[in-house]
Amino acid sequence: MTAPVRILVVDDEPHVRNSLAAWFREDGYDVSVAESGRDALATLAREGTNILLVDIKMPGMDGLELQRKVRELAPDATVIIMTAYASVETAVQALKEGAYDYIVKPFDPEAVSRLVRKAAERYSLLAENRALRERLADASPALVTSGSPAMARVIELVDQVAPTDTNVLITGESGTGKELVAHLMHARSTRRFGPFVVENCGALAEGVLESELFGHERGAFTGAVGRHRGKLEMADEGTLFLDEIGDVPSRVQVDLLRVLQERTLKRVGGNETIRVDFRLVTATHRDLEAEVAAGRFRDDFFFRINVFQIALPPLRERTEDIPALAEHFLARFATQMNRRIAGFAPGAMDALLAYPWPGNVRELANAIERAMVLCRGDRIEASHFPFGAPPVAADRSLVAVEAAHIRQVLAACSFNVAQAARELDIDRVTLYNKMKKYGIERP
Amino acid sequence: MNVRLLGLGEIPPALAEAVLAALPRPFAGGEVASLPASFEHCYDRTRAQVDAACLIEHVPGPEPGWSNLALTGADLFMPALTYVFGISHLGGRRGIVSWFRLHPEAEDAATQMRFLRRITTEAVHELGHGLGLVHCVVPDCAMHRSLWPEGVDLKRPEYCPACLTSLEERCR
Repeated sequence: MTAPVRILVVDDEPHVRNSLAAWFREDGYDVSVAESGRDALATLAREGTNILLVDIKMPGMDGLELQRKVRELAPDATVIIMTAYASVETAVQALKEGAYDYIVKPFDPEAVSRLVRKAAERYSLLAENRALRERLADASPALVTSGSPAMARVIELVDQVAPTDTNVLITGESGTGKELVAHLMHARSTRRFGPFVVENCGALAEGVLESELFGHERGAFTGAVGRHRGKLEMADEGTLFLDEIGDVPSRVQVDLLRVLQERTLKRVGGNETIRVDFRLVTATHRDLEAEVAAGRFRDDFFFRINVFQIALPPLRERTEDIPALAEHFLARFATQMNRRIAGFAPGAMDALLAYPWPGNVRELANAIERAMVLCRGDRIEASHFPFGAPPVAADRSLVAVEAAHIRQVLAACSFNVAQAARELDIDRVTLYNKMKKYGIERP
Repeated sequence: MNVRLLGLGEIPPALAEAVLAALPRPFAGGEVASLPASFEHCYDRTRAQVDAACLIEHVPGPEPGWSNLALTGADLFMPALTYVFGISHLGGRRGIVSWFRLHPEAEDAATQMRFLRRITTEAVHELGHGLGLVHCVVPDCAMHRSLWPEGVDLKRPEYCPACLTSLEERCR
């Protein structure tokens, strides 16, 4: 649930500020009052107010001066100027300096309610936009500025499908960034000002999943003490992202299929038909076509969700992105941990490039975070990574060094034995024999 | 939860009885009484209206298990607002409803029924605030904000299921 919008009423007349506070509290806003500009700035710093209703004529700091200081301290805060008829000209001056609007005392109840409601909606949109921007900025090195042709193709597909309402299925191994791609698609769609609602279908039992998706009425089952809106309802006018769709039980697939066809639903235990309008994006790490062929996934539901498919490549197939990603995570964790680390030692980057990354980008982020915790110098060394220090440090024998080198080259070639043999300048049979000798197996 | 309807100034006895009889769950019943307080000093001569914030201070605090609601024919305002239909202390179980602006234009029997329904709806609204409810987004719930008399006609003098559940929990 989102936090209530915070309103601050600033007026030197107590009956005005208190009556307005009471009026807006009845609408569910979180309302504070301040008797002066100085008092208002202290409250703003303490509580992080979203909307300020400011009287223009106050002793000491007047409304105009307060508005200027609010602009400096909290640029996203919305200022509404309250004025008596005589000071309308000053209110117009406030508008020129960035006030959202002004209203003349005494207020028509309808006018002031509508004005504050509009300001609250504007605040919600700003907050949503900021959250999306931060999310995308965070994701950008993984998705947008990636240098590999594979990821460039993914971004191209996202741009093509985002403005439509087509159902999209995102496939890829765990940790490849499926949710971030879904979010990017939402941010670039016409529904971007609507909600982006996420449900991980693999984490819930069938009954709980059904209730989470469709909602329930009070008394629908034991423990249903109140009405609950489901994720499908919450995604109205926005995007619904269902992760791990391959784990959804068959009965729930039938119910979801019906909603996709009819665009209506009924809550569990309810009779009311509710219209819903959302764009569906699903994701899975499973091979759904194989699941359908094996009879474990409904074909009619699969055809409905798989209108447009985007396959995310595993990190081992886009190793050219690893240096940029590693630098990105290094910078991010350096800020979070307040550490000054210059970069990666040459051996460390070689180790990152050689490792096969079964956990993909998520594993890379975790490995770098761990390395930064262990690092005591100004550069990350190979020994800081969880997949081990270079074997020469532990065992300097020729056999150990050869085994480690073969492992590294195989990993860099995604365990393509023919390619690794060429790199090592030996024939494939010799490489197979050495792999057998050193117990090296495909991950 | 019982309701004490208090007449502020002259109030038709049948009106208060009709409102009391029409109150929905969770209100079980109540009584009608009059409030002898004078509100001369709450009257604003320049606006020719009564200050609701001043007036509510004359509504006595209720006993446990009761809500006190005053009914008046005076035109109410709040210092920053041109008029209000009523006022409550949020969660304080006391409030006021004015019927001054709820009168329909005509005086026939049908409009009288509508008038009574409006007062009852606003009484249910202020009683809800008195028990801590804020405004509701459901358009026909009594707790939906109404800013003009015809807006009151769009509501029912009852709470929506979510508001009723919340009220019943507060009354326990």
